[in-house]
Amino acid sequence: MGEEVKLKIEDLSLKFGGLDALSEVSLGVRDGELLAIIGPNGAGKTSLLNCINGFYRPWKGRIFFEGKEITKLASHKIAEMGISRTFQNIELYTGLSTVDNLMAARHILMKQNPVAGAFYFGPAYREEVRHREVVEDIIDFLEMEPIRKKVVGLLPYGLRKRVELGRALALEPKILLLDEPMAGMNIDEKEDMARFIIDTIELRRIPIVLVEHDMEVVMDIADSVVVLDFGRKIAQGTPAEIRAEPLVIKAYLGEEEV
Amino acid sequence: MAIKDYDTLPKLLKYNYEKYGDTKIAMRVKDMGLWQRYTWKDYYEKAKYFSLGLISLGLEPGDKVSILGENKPEWFWAELAVQAARGTVIGIFTDCIPSEVKYYVEHSDSKFVVAHDQEQVDKLLEIKDELPLLKKVIYWDPKGLWSYDEPILMSFNEVLSLGKEYEKSHPGLFEENIEKGKGEDIGIFCYTSGTTALPKGAMVTHDGLVGVANSWQEVDKWQDNEQYLSFLPPAWITEQGLGIAGSLVSGMQANFPEEPETVQENIREIGASVLFFGPRQWESMIRLVQAKIIDTSKLRRFLYHLFLPVGYKVADLRLAKKKVNWFWRALYFIAYWAVFRALKDKLGLLGNRCAYTAGAAVSPDILRYFQAIGVNIKQLYGSSEEGLLTLHHDEDIKWETSGPKMPGVEVKLSQEGEILVKRSDNYFAGYYKNLEATQERLRDGWFYTGDFGYIDDDNHLIVIDRMDDLRGLADGHKFSPQFAEVRLRFSPYIKDALAVGGEDKAFVTCVINIDLDNVGRWAEARRIPYTTFTDLSQKPEVIELIRKDIERTNKTLPEWARIKRFVNLHKEFDPDEAELTRTRKLRRTFIEDRYGYLVDALYGDKEEIRVEAPITYRDGRKGTIETAIKVTTLME
Repeated sequence: MGEEVKLKIEDLSLKFGGLDALSEVSLGVRDGELLAIIGPNGAGKTSLLNCINGFYRPWKGRIFFEGKEITKLASHKIAEMGISRTFQNIELYTGLSTVDNLMAARHILMKQNPVAGAFYFGPAYREEVRHREVVEDIIDFLEMEPIRKKVVGLLPYGLRKRVELGRALALEPKILLLDEPMAGMNIDEKEDMARFIIDTIELRRIPIVLVEHDMEVVMDIADSVVVLDFGRKIAQGTPAEIRAEPLVIKAYLGEEEV
Repeated sequence: MAIKDYDTLPKLLKYNYEKYGDTKIAMRVKDMGLWQRYTWKDYYEKAKYFSLGLISLGLEPGDKVSILGENKPEWFWAELAVQAARGTVIGIFTDCIPSEVKYYVEHSDSKFVVAHDQEQVDKLLEIKDELPLLKKVIYWDPKGLWSYDEPILMSFNEVLSLGKEYEKSHPGLFEENIEKGKGEDIGIFCYTSGTTALPKGAMVTHDGLVGVANSWQEVDKWQDNEQYLSFLPPAWITEQGLGIAGSLVSGMQANFPEEPETVQENIREIGASVLFFGPRQWESMIRLVQAKIIDTSKLRRFLYHLFLPVGYKVADLRLAKKKVNWFWRALYFIAYWAVFRALKDKLGLLGNRCAYTAGAAVSPDILRYFQAIGVNIKQLYGSSEEGLLTLHHDEDIKWETSGPKMPGVEVKLSQEGEILVKRSDNYFAGYYKNLEATQERLRDGWFYTGDFGYIDDDNHLIVIDRMDDLRGLADGHKFSPQFAEVRLRFSPYIKDALAVGGEDKAFVTCVINIDLDNVGRWAEARRIPYTTFTDLSQKPEVIELIRKDIERTNKTLPEWARIKRFVNLHKEFDPDEAELTRTRKLRRTFIEDRYGYLVDALYGDKEEIRVEAPITYRDGRKGTIETAIKVTTLME
């Protein structure tokens, strides 16, 4: 893990009408770090991700990526800067194949114009081949060979989640935001996904922000954990520290002692 | 020098290299979504540098090297590299658990293990401290291994680089080593699959490997422009003879599928003209067709059921060597264009010329089905210890047999009906470190196969079962459980079956492992709700479905060997629980012990029993399930 802070969030607040979705949340993600954000339902985890990649405009506070402020940028600009994410409710082109979904993600990296692409020769052809190589690397990395040409809409849920991770990786991100990548999966699928997340960090050395409900998984794979409750950051630390934190126990399990 | 005078595999590799160089593709593997090609020059050079690399790491003539991986070019390169350095190769099945891997590596005294990927490397790291002889574990797929910091690990490419360096100080060594190789050198150890005892390592000479491939080539005349699908585990003797030695003697191109899961897709892209599937794969292909036919449009289903009997009729006539008259020929022509051609195409068998099967007794229905749709499927018989022994010749195919004997092979029967064989070459050099077993199996030059069978009027060999697996019944009759089981398995709804009997038992009974996919689909189509495998297997409708299939099978069995009672097992037979061998043969005695309570119930009078069964999950966790199992009696 590097020392350099890649993503920094300062005093972030978000309101939906009178409701404080986030209040004064600050955190930093360092290079190569796996930071998990946990918290009960409605704690503001997804809202936080939505602020980072520009879906929501925060009411107050600032977000920096690699030293540059991105708080007010449009979400496609933020994606081009190298912030890539997956969604809690899978957002893929259900009518396209796995490989086409991944290729579609590459479009923001394509230099040739659509007319050249339509004729498909010379530079446009070479560019397509180069992008396909990257995509094939990801297919190999995520063990998606058997579903390469399958239509995404017909795939089982666990595999669709994997395609979504693949699409996020196809953007060659500098940081990856994962919104509940393991929700609704069985144990085997969760273990696969956890392995892919760890491999991603090892191979690509990029930081990951992981929003996840499954405490066991989080405690196993995260380097550090931030706990949100009603939009506030109530704790931050290593998994061991968090496990012992009384406020977390209270937020998750209620007042009773464990 | 004629090709027949090359007596080792590395010499054949050199021959092909000199003949074809980089003008002809030797192998293709699907990677990055594309078919990557390797010429004979690539094949030769990879083997060369890997061989020299291993020598620089301390490999000496006579040393053993284990290979643990799926079918990939690296497997072939590594094998030829080791053999060129006059070493011996041991193939290990990739689904072996660490303790099994340890047995093979330890028993064979392997100095190196060449492993596929992280999954296999992890197994070796777990046991490396118990293997004092093991010097290096060499992997070819680095995925997931980037952060491993183990001095025993080394990548395939690193070894190749070592080899290139070593060549500078030792030019010509590789070629010298190949020249020094002799036909009687041990090329591989082939471990017997061990349905009864610990696996024994059969030592197979280069003479034997080359001899098998040459005689096979003589019968089937493989051409150097043919495509071979490499799918059988190379740890198995058949892939050694057909894939590795076969492509070396014929120059045919070996094709490696991308992943085991993509084989069905890949064979269509390859258009394999030569391929070998175990009976299980042929069965599952038929199952796939049957399932798709259930799901397809009414017209297609109608055409399929209309023309399949035409295929059967013509295949029966043709292989009985009777004349097929113009009427049937015309009908078959229509059937071919209406159904069979498309079916073969979808299965990737359109360009197929030689399709083989062997292994655990093949149901005659499989041969008959594929011959009916126009696939030239042939059965063969062989063993780890004696190689290829019999093989169907084109247009001399009989459903129940394994074909006539190969050139250079003698076959006879003992008094008890055991199949004895003798080869003209020195194929089998005994079991490694087990003289006792060697002497027991090899007497007066004849090898005792342990298989029970007979030879028919056309000199075809019919293999019924293992001698040890024949069972007596209380009334003195003998029956072969496997004989019934393979016939039961032809039902799309039965994945596995275990026929039970014994000298203390009055009749035959059966434990059925239903086919989850097909029975599940069948249940869904009839709106029968179910939750788990256990639940589905005990549904009254499902039991009735299975009962009908057993009754149908009973008609093909001798009266005394018919099944009188059966249960549907509440779980699947699983190699991870040692119920099946790695080649998916039932481990009979083990299962009968383990499910002793079921056997008791089959011979009792209750109609239902409660069981609590321990199960081991894929990832090693253990649990128990409690359930009620119904015992069904068949009416005569």
